Amino acid sequence: MKHLLILLAWMLPHQADGTLFACKNAKVSLYSKAPLEDIRATSATAASVYKATTGEVAFNVPIRSFKFQKSLMQEHFNENYMESDKFPNATFKGKVQSLPDLTKDGTYAVKATGDLTVHGVTQNRTIDGAFTVKGGAVSFNSEFTVKCVDHKIDIPKLVFQKIAESISVSVTATYIKN
Amino acid sequence: MKSTIALCLLAGAVCTVRAQTTPPAKTSSADSLLNAMSTTADNEPVIATFKASRLIFSQTTETVKKGNLNFVVIHRFGDIGGSAGGGKTLWGLDNSSDIFIGFEYGISDKLDLQFGRSKFEQLLELGLKYHFLQQTADDAMPFSATIIGKTGLKPYSVTTNVFKPYTNRLNYFTQLVIARKFSTNFSMQITPSYLRNNLPFPYLPDNEKNFFVLGGAFRLKVTKRSGIVVDYHHPFSSFRSSNNTTTNFYDPIGVGWEIETGGHVFTLNLSNSQAISEINYLADTESSWGKGQFRLGFTISRMFELSGRSKNKY
Repeated sequence: MKHLLILLAWMLPHQADGTLFACKNAKVSLYSKAPLEDIRATSATAASVYKATTGEVAFNVPIRSFKFQKSLMQEHFNENYMESDKFPNATFKGKVQSLPDLTKDGTYAVKATGDLTVHGVTQNRTIDGAFTVKGGAVSFNSEFTVKCVDHKIDIPKLVFQKIAESISVSVTATYIKN
Repeated sequence: MKSTIALCLLAGAVCTVRAQTTPPAKTSSADSLLNAMSTTADNEPVIATFKASRLIFSQTTETVKKGNLNFVVIHRFGDIGGSAGGGKTLWGLDNSSDIFIGFEYGISDKLDLQFGRSKFEQLLELGLKYHFLQQTADDAMPFSATIIGKTGLKPYSVTTNVFKPYTNRLNYFTQLVIARKFSTNFSMQITPSYLRNNLPFPYLPDNEKNFFVLGGAFRLKVTKRSGIVVDYHHPFSSFRSSNNTTTNFYDPIGVGWEIETGGHVFTLNLSNSQAISEINYLADTESSWGKGQFRLGFTISRMFELSGRSKNKY
């Protein structure tokens, strides 16, 4: 797998002219605030790609990679809510609207419009985020909410007090320039 | 894996060629790179083969995870039909043939320690359960396997007074649980077991101290959080075979409905065995479905998280 990545990374510059940014250890955190319980989970193995020439941006996070405080929650998250055996990944594929100049240091607030797919249900979303360039290193972060009902994630009445209807998601990616 | 690499290389080569001819390739190279980067490992372990550590009679391959405590209450009422059942006992609800209270504590994610006490024969039991094979999504390992070892002690002489050497009160039980989750909705297990009673139980002439048992059980989910469970055991014991003229023994058979509600798992069931612990029901099931000697039972298991993993990490 590593060799393949290196190979791809080696091949891609020829076609992308050094404008492709990639990250394979992006961090995605979930936070659900409900009357009875606050639930947090984090994945540090999301993948992201940003193409500076066109503004295309893509994220992919394996559902199974989310780690919870409680092992039972993690099991329920996969088994009952996200059905990770049927829908193993959550993705976002979109385009950044006004392209920031990533050659200069600074923070650039952007809006990305595209398809957010969670639990097999795709929603067209516009998500706020920001690129940060510091000493040539490019990173991206964003915070947004996902409504369970929009993605057909059922929460039974019995646990309504424990799980929020909308989940806050925060994403951080530090890119490597290809 | 090799073919995937070859395919990706080919795709990459095609892209490069196309990139040379039509410079701004429209279908994004971003996409293909993302796909290449996010190939999920296909040797992921299969989770939640069963929702609880117990079905009706049998334990499942699931162990209690590290630092968790599972509190189990199991109850069996009296005979619904037959001479001991009927309206005068409210179809068995007046009687309790067995009550079990148990604790299972996760020493690691794969190993738990369990303790329980039954009303039936006042049995105390201490056991270890180790989950040593894990089914994987790619079927490199097609099933999960767990081994259970238990020692039972009957501290009081209830049905017999030959408890004189104290070791007569000890019983040993070993079981291998082999399970496979065939789909999200269907999991099945087979359980070869070995039971040793230092004093034959029930204490009757010609009864065996040791015998093998083969069991099978499955869970079929009907809704997302509930389903049917069926549990069956057959002891390979000539004393317990149908040609025993003095005492009749029957194979334990149970059917139930399992409901999962977050931290709790409930099972409502009907079974012919009076006892709850393997040490008791495998040795002594003298009630028959055919004679109306089956009973209502339930299992409640509640999982407590004792050692919260460091919260700051998440």
